Amino acid sequence: MNKMSFSWDRALITCAAWALALLWVLPLIYATWTAFHPAEFETRFDLTAPLTLTNFSDAWVQAPFARYFLNTTILVTMILIAQIALGTLAAYAFARMDFRGKGILFSLVLVQLMIMPDILLVENYKTMRDLGLVDTILAIGLPYMASGFGIFLLRQTFMTIPQELDDAARIEGTSIMGRIWRVYMPLAKPTYLAFGLVSVSAHWNNFLWPLIITNSVETRPLTVGLSIFAATDSGIQWSVINAATLITSGPLLLAFLLFQRQFVQSFMRAGIK
Amino acid sequence: MPDFALKGRSIRLQSLRKSWEDAVALHDINLTIPAGSFTALLGPSGCGKSTLLRLISGLETPTEGDVFVDGDKVTSQPPSARDLAMVFQSYALFPHLSVAENIIFGLRTRRTPKAERLEKLDQVAGLLELSHLLTRKPGELSGGQQQRVALGRAIIAQRSICLMDEPLSNLDAKLRQDMRTELRELQAKLGFTMVYVTHDQAEAMTMADQVVLMNQGHIEQVAAPRDLYARPATPFAGQFIGTPPMNVFDPMDVQEFPVFAPYCTGSHLLGLRPEDIHISETGPISGHIETVEFFGADLLVTCRIGKAALRIRCAGQAQYIPNTSVSLGFDLKDLSVFGTTPTAETPPQHPKAGNAPCVFNLAKA
Repeated sequence: MNKMSFSWDRALITCAAWALALLWVLPLIYATWTAFHPAEFETRFDLTAPLTLTNFSDAWVQAPFARYFLNTTILVTMILIAQIALGTLAAYAFARMDFRGKGILFSLVLVQLMIMPDILLVENYKTMRDLGLVDTILAIGLPYMASGFGIFLLRQTFMTIPQELDDAARIEGTSIMGRIWRVYMPLAKPTYLAFGLVSVSAHWNNFLWPLIITNSVETRPLTVGLSIFAATDSGIQWSVINAATLITSGPLLLAFLLFQRQFVQSFMRAGIK
Repeated sequence: MPDFALKGRSIRLQSLRKSWEDAVALHDINLTIPAGSFTALLGPSGCGKSTLLRLISGLETPTEGDVFVDGDKVTSQPPSARDLAMVFQSYALFPHLSVAENIIFGLRTRRTPKAERLEKLDQVAGLLELSHLLTRKPGELSGGQQQRVALGRAIIAQRSICLMDEPLSNLDAKLRQDMRTELRELQAKLGFTMVYVTHDQAEAMTMADQVVLMNQGHIEQVAAPRDLYARPATPFAGQFIGTPPMNVFDPMDVQEFPVFAPYCTGSHLLGLRPEDIHISETGPISGHIETVEFFGADLLVTCRIGKAALRIRCAGQAQYIPNTSVSLGFDLKDLSVFGTTPTAETPPQHPKAGNAPCVFNLAKA
């Protein structure tokens, strides 16, 4: 009896998982189908339809995707480096130093986790205008550089590193920066990997804020470039748009498939559910 | 390894006090640790011995008082300026570095040239028999090997002082015994000043030149192991050292026996080691056997004498039956007298003065 109900449970879960996976992969399948076939097969499923790559070359020449790729790469790298640098220093201070107001400051960092970035669009825009940074790549990245999530995650990891390791390095005369660099950062590698993957995918896909703050080809990231390409193209041609979509999401998708194991494992190790 | 020999330096602690907001960890510690000596800080957990070690190391700063190394005040100096090494209870090996990298960690921090680093690593690895393990990670080593790596990291810098915080407590009993001898030999060979924290009286008694017995943030007694055992200064010292512990009793509880009469002032406690009491027909004290415990070589007999219960250690093969009466005796020079109030520090008559008359000197018949 018990065994029966247990297997029912399992069956339901398996079905649900498949259903969700199917739902998630359907647009991707459709995009792949249209991207690799001539325009007339956009809404017609025919296994014998001729395969073609012209959609990709069309998309590539119709919009400056190379430039968008460069912009997104610069953006994502810049944000990640800044987040790791700032997050590491803040996390070390919160994990291992004693100072006045530590509790309040840390709760402010946690509050940042609860605020939807979209609420701040207008305020952020004003700030960027005051700084004279509107329509720059730096402006897209700046609001995200001090990541509350990153600080929290690294602090949790740093706190699990035994105090005695810190003491041992101090006895040997290692400075604070030396200890962070030679003890804390190497030991927190899985956390950095997990955080890096989340950060890169989040900012690769970010759309609303870059759409607002950028106006030119020189600064637009892929997501904005793609939406403009899809919107302005007078006769909407799904095969070309989908080819462009695959171009923009391809690298991330490929990276995820390649690093799937590490991705999942690092999350397990970092203790994020 | 003559090129590793070095001169130890002395440590002096002056009116050292450490407190946190709500708790006082150490009260007014005054202590001198001679250069090149092996000093054990001994005490039950929570007595402040590890805190004291951290104050010496510079990992913590004292609330009041000063630390001197070879006469130089180092109270506000960071650990690296004090020329000392430290071995931690957990060994504190860096799990992401190989054994070799762990040992030369400090040399790297100080940018010692590579050739010198490798040469020293070679010497230390040879000394500690770690040469075949240098490329392994600490996680792949046994507890004893990890212990050696931690030792290697401590001695490679040739510091004049080495601090150890319960370094053997994570090893099994057999290995612990071997390491005791080895540590002692290493210290004697290299000549550094060793300050060794332990809660295990056997470690302190077998290894140390000087034992600092601590209790609740105070120093109870500073003495060589033999003196600490033979002449405990306080009831705590008597009861902490020795298994089974010293019998400490109030002379008022046994006032019917004339031998205890001089101490019945109400301000003294008496101490007798279990092996210093003898069961003998001619003994002047009569007791009543309550329990008999057999330990192989020893027999532990608990006797009620007056209102006090005393434990007596006898030879293992002796036969005693509970609920029978026995006569007991002891040598007066083995009696410890403790003052219970500060004004009564000096007992009325000190039987330990050496030539005090022995009231009963029982031949071990």
